[in-house]
Amino acid sequence: MYIFIQQVINGLTIGSIFALIALGYTMVYGTMKFINFAHGDLVALSAFVGLTIYTTVVSSFSNSIIAILISLIITIVIISIIGYLLERIAYRPLRKAPRLSAVVSALGAGMVFQNAIMLIWGPNPHYYPADIIPNKIWHFGDSVISLIQILILLLSFFIMIGLYILVNKTRTGRAIRAAAINQDAARLMGINVDAIIVIIFALGSTLGAVGGMFLGMFYRGITFNMGWNYGISAFVAAIIGGIGNIPGAMLGGIFLGLFNSLIAGYISSTWADAFTYILLILILIFKPTGILGERVAEKV
Amino acid sequence: MRKSAIYKYLVFLGILLIYPLFSNSSWLAIGTTFIIYSIVALSQDIVLGKAGMFDMGHAMFFGIGAYISAIMNTVFNIPILWAIPVVVLISAIISVLMAMPTIHLRGDYLLVVTIGFNIIFQQVIKNNVFGLTGGPNGIFGIERPSLFGFEFSSDLSVYYLAFFVLILILIMIKNLETSAVGRAFHYLRLDNLAAQCVGINTRFYRLFAFALGASIASIAGVLFAIQYTVISPESFNLMQSILFFTIVIVGGMSSIPGVLLGTFLMFVLPEIFRDFNTYRYLVFGVMMILTMILRPRGIIPKKFGIIPKYLLKDK
Repeated sequence: MYIFIQQVINGLTIGSIFALIALGYTMVYGTMKFINFAHGDLVALSAFVGLTIYTTVVSSFSNSIIAILISLIITIVIISIIGYLLERIAYRPLRKAPRLSAVVSALGAGMVFQNAIMLIWGPNPHYYPADIIPNKIWHFGDSVISLIQILILLLSFFIMIGLYILVNKTRTGRAIRAAAINQDAARLMGINVDAIIVIIFALGSTLGAVGGMFLGMFYRGITFNMGWNYGISAFVAAIIGGIGNIPGAMLGGIFLGLFNSLIAGYISSTWADAFTYILLILILIFKPTGILGERVAEKV
Repeated sequence: MRKSAIYKYLVFLGILLIYPLFSNSSWLAIGTTFIIYSIVALSQDIVLGKAGMFDMGHAMFFGIGAYISAIMNTVFNIPILWAIPVVVLISAIISVLMAMPTIHLRGDYLLVVTIGFNIIFQQVIKNNVFGLTGGPNGIFGIERPSLFGFEFSSDLSVYYLAFFVLILILIMIKNLETSAVGRAFHYLRLDNLAAQCVGINTRFYRLFAFALGASIASIAGVLFAIQYTVISPESFNLMQSILFFTIVIVGGMSSIPGVLLGTFLMFVLPEIFRDFNTYRYLVFGVMMILTMILRPRGIIPKKFGIIPKYLLKDK
């Protein structure tokens, strides 16, 4: 039983990180209907930027938690600007182009990020310091939960609540939802769709930056090519939840994290990926719109 | 085919024919791999460019070809050329079984499903299923083939073997374009619903496109196993699938010269700039973005007859 509880705790932690990253995919897909393959590498970039900023600022603060929050905020600003530039340079000129062209452009942008990380930080893995969060552990029964896991769970939870309120209760949120349903109609209603798309990219990059730093803090080791793996998992999470659907991405992320860690705990970790994709394919066969997605009628 | 087009193909094939005269052994290997990758890219183009199905897992069929022929050769001692019919049959069956439940999915979903199949395939061969696939190290000691007493033992002979197969595939695809099947693919891509309404069995033709693309890619896989005599899972991973996918989009969907040029740009060009090791893929990514912005339909887009501009619909 304790294995089960332990795997559930680990699964919830990694699942909430997946959820944060998956939101970036799902919001972009919701409005622009294309898969932003560069998002995973942007997450990796934010893990590196965050680490560098943390190591520069840590000496000037007595408390490492404050140093983490400061570096998180600076990272968010930097990554949001990069996310905006990405949209402006690589995607905006391709709005009217065939959809696969934008996909290839995203793949190219991902390649640029990945190699930029390798050129700046070198090909060897970097490590987040072990004492970045006080190494406290709580036991209940035979299972343990660490302070870092609690922090990740709490922060992700509040960020997702915040996002939910932003999207569902504010004017900007209403504009985002309108642009997701029909861009042309939204434009006719006086919504500045370009500005909405910029907001979406900034939001997605923000969540991705938080996810990237959480990944570094939780796993400690970060490599230049890690973005692709986490990115594709998060994207799978977005699809499982129903792509384009914001609560769906959160749910899908948690679900995928739990599924992954239970498979790794009970069946086999060498087959974990295969099980994930078998699950994905089964979901797509039997419920192609994901858990929460709505059926979209094919336009003629 | 117009006369000028025939001349262009002849020039291209002529260059490939005399290329070994001017190359050392490492460049000859690159040349052979270029031909093999061109065949895979052309087969990817049948699925993606001609039939319009977003397939981002094509390296899987390439890998199935290489692995099945290598297993038949090293475990059962069957001459590798005899493996080709078996390989074609098996990969066609696998592709149809794979596509049957998923083929109805919309574009992006299909793309993710094919990515998923490729990753599952990776794990299967990496985990050394049935003790046949050799795990992460792959399979060693694949024999070079012999035909009518002629041994394809030298790299040069393998180059010309691949060249010969490329010519066959090119002729086949040219015929496909002007056949009923090719026209069905074309309608299917432009508008699935309209194709169904004029009486095309879209489901059949979609499966057909998948099976055809898979079989051709698996033949290229056999050639790949022959060329390197060693195969490992990395040659067939998702990155390779993305490479083939990108080749087709960058070159120009369903345009044969485009796909060939795309293979050159995406595979041979990085080899030429090997000296700039660390910077080349950075520049490469920038070039991918720029190409798409400047030529969103690919470098050499396919022209379908004379269609007035206002009728062209971007999708």
